[in-house]
Amino acid sequence: MRNTLPVIIAFLAGIAMVISFFFNPERTVLGTFQENLLQWVTIVGGFTLVLGVFSIVRVNARAVSRRSDGWFYKLATVISVFAMAIPSIMPTSANSAFGKVFYSIFPISWAGAFGTGPDSIYDWLFNYVDSPMMETMFATLAFYIASAAYRAFRARSAEETLLLITACLVMLWRVPIGEALLRSIDVRIPDYINMFVMNGFNLSVQRGIIIGAALGMASMSLRILLGIERTYMGKG
Amino acid sequence: MAESMTFLDHFEIWLRAYLILSLFSFLYKDNRFYKLSEHVFAGLSAGYYVGLIWQTVIVQQLINPMFDEGEWVLIIPGMLGVLMFARLVPKWSWVSRVSLAFVIGNTAGIYLMNALHGLIFKQLYATMGSISNSNGFAGVLLALVVVVGVISTLVYFYFSKEHKGVVGVTAKVGIWFIMIAFGAHFGFTVMGRISLLIGRAEFLFYEWGGSLGQIF
Amino acid sequence: MGFWDKVSNIDRRWIYLMVAVATFFPMIVVMQFPVELTPEAVQLYEAIDNLPDSSVVMLTFDYYPSAMAETRPMSIAALRHMFSKDMKVVTVSNIPLGGPTIAEDVTRSIAKEYGKEYGVDYVNLGYRANYVAVMHGLATSIESIFKADFTGTPLKDLPLMQDVKNYNDIEFIFVVADNATIDYWISIVNAQYNIPVGGGVTAVVAPKMYAFVEAKQLTGLLGGMKGAAEYERLVKISGSATRGMASQSLVHFLIIFFVIIGNVAYFVTRKHEKGQK
Repeated sequence: MRNTLPVIIAFLAGIAMVISFFFNPERTVLGTFQENLLQWVTIVGGFTLVLGVFSIVRVNARAVSRRSDGWFYKLATVISVFAMAIPSIMPTSANSAFGKVFYSIFPISWAGAFGTGPDSIYDWLFNYVDSPMMETMFATLAFYIASAAYRAFRARSAEETLLLITACLVMLWRVPIGEALLRSIDVRIPDYINMFVMNGFNLSVQRGIIIGAALGMASMSLRILLGIERTYMGKG
Repeated sequence: MAESMTFLDHFEIWLRAYLILSLFSFLYKDNRFYKLSEHVFAGLSAGYYVGLIWQTVIVQQLINPMFDEGEWVLIIPGMLGVLMFARLVPKWSWVSRVSLAFVIGNTAGIYLMNALHGLIFKQLYATMGSISNSNGFAGVLLALVVVVGVISTLVYFYFSKEHKGVVGVTAKVGIWFIMIAFGAHFGFTVMGRISLLIGRAEFLFYEWGGSLGQIF
Repeated sequence: MGFWDKVSNIDRRWIYLMVAVATFFPMIVVMQFPVELTPEAVQLYEAIDNLPDSSVVMLTFDYYPSAMAETRPMSIAALRHMFSKDMKVVTVSNIPLGGPTIAEDVTRSIAKEYGKEYGVDYVNLGYRANYVAVMHGLATSIESIFKADFTGTPLKDLPLMQDVKNYNDIEFIFVVADNATIDYWISIVNAQYNIPVGGGVTAVVAPKMYAFVEAKQLTGLLGGMKGAAEYERLVKISGSATRGMASQSLVHFLIIFFVIIGNVAYFVTRKHEKGQK
């Protein structure tokens, strides 16, 4: 029961998509079935994200209640989760039953602040707090990559030298001054980089990787459908 | 920046500038400003998911269709979604497998056909087509590079047979191709990371700088 | 400790400082350089430009806020191009963090400049979980996946969506992405439903996309901030990507300089060490 039922469900949910691939979804009875199935998957998929948030809150709240190391920062995480989540799940109109009760307590003029739309608390926190931080987190990588280029990018072997020269050429080609410099040496160099490096060597390797990864993806999918691959179920 | 900014405009700019600088301060050394911002960031991002899923999935796809349009069949995916939370209770965690199996099985079915039809066959057709469609010396040379590159890369990543003899030579050719491709990729990656830094620098220089200019 | 030893062991913070100076310098002295076009960017521009006016186009915001410096200028330039040709735009996001909000903010602000009306000229569908299922689902019925738009307005109340029922009513999909969603737009939507797909992606994703462009699975490509600057040039606007190219140039030269100095220091110190042994 614990293992067989999930395997049967995975097989049926998957084989339905395989069969529907061969038929026009708009013109066959399979279309409606596929439509419902996909709609259901998008709904169930949504819950998995909330489950993740639930775990984050649980882990951090536990650390706060135990006053473990850095509990103050973990408290900041928990407060931030609620600061973002609570206003976003509040009703934005008095049309629903919950909305009627809510706006009998709070003025209806507050409605714009709730939900996820423009000018809501959610939108403001995202635009002015969350988004700038996420942008900055990734921007710091520029410094690390520069440091890595200085410390670790060595021409110790022929292969490494090839990698290094290509990287420098591409870096020059992708910026206006660099491209002008390459053109001043020979006007055809930028076109040759695009043609042979990007659309030749790079393309062929990327294609090899795409084909290899797709073969792996197809075989893994088949293993899941046939119930051979069950690691997604976890232990127990 | 705008001619005259309100107090709220200034506040929003300074708040963003503070957050940016607090995160950049880690480059000098770890500190409490960085730590606090980092944890707030993690919390807000998690909170963002809640709002998004609540409004777009639970309200729009479940509650409204069920209560307003009587689509009670949606109770099935709703239940499957709720079952996912059984994972939090060790004794009942196996129940969540049903929901997981539904999502993973469906996705595997899509992936299977997508990998074969949309990736493997299309890319193989294009590789073979590059030979028959090539024109002129440069075109033929390019087609040759593509075919040799695809084959040698696949051989290099094929570990079921020892890289000796013909396989070994082909894999060696594959390494050379891969080095050039990874070099190009590294160049692009550097470019991408620098662009992100420029985005932040532009904010600090133009917007924060503009606010500073107006205040002082 | 000799000179090259010192160079080898320089504090990383000096490197960071130099990168920061090179980034800010072109902003202080106001430098701007002309951007050269690549065939891939021209191909994408022409694919959209050759569509009949008033065509329905789907524009995706499949990116996290982290990649906004590269992808947001692409979205802005694409919207300006589309609105200037009176195209109807349907935006969608497959990213659970930021994408739908960015789509809402960017599209509304650009639409305002062109006097476009929400629901008539453009619609933001928002986000649904499990993007491969979403991409397949839109082929049969957009309304089965998106019963309402991002702000909760039912699709049946939006005039534009009365004419746009599935992919058959969409002429072109312009995917702006910073991750693997573009792979599925190509391998599911283009391959199975024959809708032309064009791509504007981050520099990290771009190298892989060349394989799809050559296979004609992807109609044109914008790679990173340079790609965004190319599109800005094509639609004749000077945006943040064009402005950023000066800093980009300087930092690239600095990194190449780092690679050279780092290697010289490495080989000189290694030779010195060998000599001592």
